[in-house]
Amino acid sequence: MTSIVRNQWYVAAYGREIGREVFGRTICGESILFWRREDGTVTAMSDRCVHRRFPLSEKPSHLVGDTVVCGYHGFTYDADGTCVAVPGQTRVPRTARLRSYPVVEQDSFVWVFIGDDDRSDTVPIPRAPWLGQDGYTTVSGMEPLAARASLLVDNLMDLSHETYLHGGYIGTPEVANTPITTEVDEDAQVVYVSRHMDDADCPPFYATSTGIQGRIVRWQDIEFHPPCLYLLHSRVAPVGVLPNADGTDPDGFHVEVVYAITPETEHSTHDFWAVARDFALEDEGVSDFLRESNRTVVLQDVVALDALERVLAGEPDGYQELSINIDTGGLAARRIIAAQAAAGAEQVPDSPATLASR
Amino acid sequence: MRETVAPTRVLDGDRVTRVAWLPGSDRLLGECSCGSRAEGGDPIGMWEWLLAHPDHPAQVTEPDSGAPVAHVPPPHRVLRPEQAAGPRTPLR
Repeated sequence: MTSIVRNQWYVAAYGREIGREVFGRTICGESILFWRREDGTVTAMSDRCVHRRFPLSEKPSHLVGDTVVCGYHGFTYDADGTCVAVPGQTRVPRTARLRSYPVVEQDSFVWVFIGDDDRSDTVPIPRAPWLGQDGYTTVSGMEPLAARASLLVDNLMDLSHETYLHGGYIGTPEVANTPITTEVDEDAQVVYVSRHMDDADCPPFYATSTGIQGRIVRWQDIEFHPPCLYLLHSRVAPVGVLPNADGTDPDGFHVEVVYAITPETEHSTHDFWAVARDFALEDEGVSDFLRESNRTVVLQDVVALDALERVLAGEPDGYQELSINIDTGGLAARRIIAAQAAAGAEQVPDSPATLASR
Repeated sequence: MRETVAPTRVLDGDRVTRVAWLPGSDRLLGECSCGSRAEGGDPIGMWEWLLAHPDHPAQVTEPDSGAPVAHVPPPHRVLRPEQAAGPRTPLR
């Protein structure tokens, strides 16, 4: 039983990673080739030549105009994955076609649809507009995680772990000690978890980047769009400084922390992270600090989750765990992902092998 | 039931369920999209109660109530104490 949710959009790359060079990445167990056409649009197709399975992302495979040429025997494919030339003969077999993938470039991400292509129009792509929006400055990266995606979902849905795993960076005692509220929109499939701290220590992540001295109001509002996109709306301000009644908030510092949680395989994950801020927009020092700090925090999670994956992989299914109040949001996320997985699996047509076995 | 706090209301769909952690306590307050409310002591029982809509049970199942604990994880066993962390005497 696969844990990967099919018939969903996933972040495959940052737009900056894809250019006029072949680029390969495994998404949800599928090896996919990405490249940009001459008009700048991104295309995605299977990363295996139909001839002898050579990876088209591997040199000396290369682009010629809007075609990709296999570096092994020269099979040549257009931007839709159709083979347009083979060596030594004029007839191109009709079945010589790469599986192509629906792809959308949005909010600095390249999204790819994993599932039945004709369903891609029916599944919305969640937005993270700050990443490419005037008025925000963003730093971002991606770390490989040798752990199943669900462990990163658990991790991000319960930020009380910041106090313990990320103490001295983003964690302070108040995070674990402040109650949360949780909302779930069953139709939109969104989980929202709020933790509002009225009087908290200011961790170095925010003290250094905002320049605030002393204690702070710290709001953490998680908006998770399962299975892939996680948004943390973070607001910090000196104690007592709140938004205006009309919703404007000129004295608050806003940081939009975005994670895209994309399964690479059943037991590994692409951990995309981005930090967008609405202050010190031109300050390279702040950008460097936030980039280095957030990467450090992400790597702390990577070490912990890699260790957890090794433990879980060695245990029988149905291992015992215990949930308490801090897990309210994480449990909601698990339930929605399980429902998406069941729905996605139902939509996959039977394979010939399954049909033959009936 | 205490009415000390209402869950936050950010999402505005027709089928939104909410759970608030009551300040100063270990208790949760759940609210279904139909308006039914209940208090409970752990999130597993609370989600079961919420997802039973429209047939919400009279009460949320409380943790540590009813049947004895079905499974207790085994203790970690140190099979070779001389290899455990801490000061060691040289092995002979």
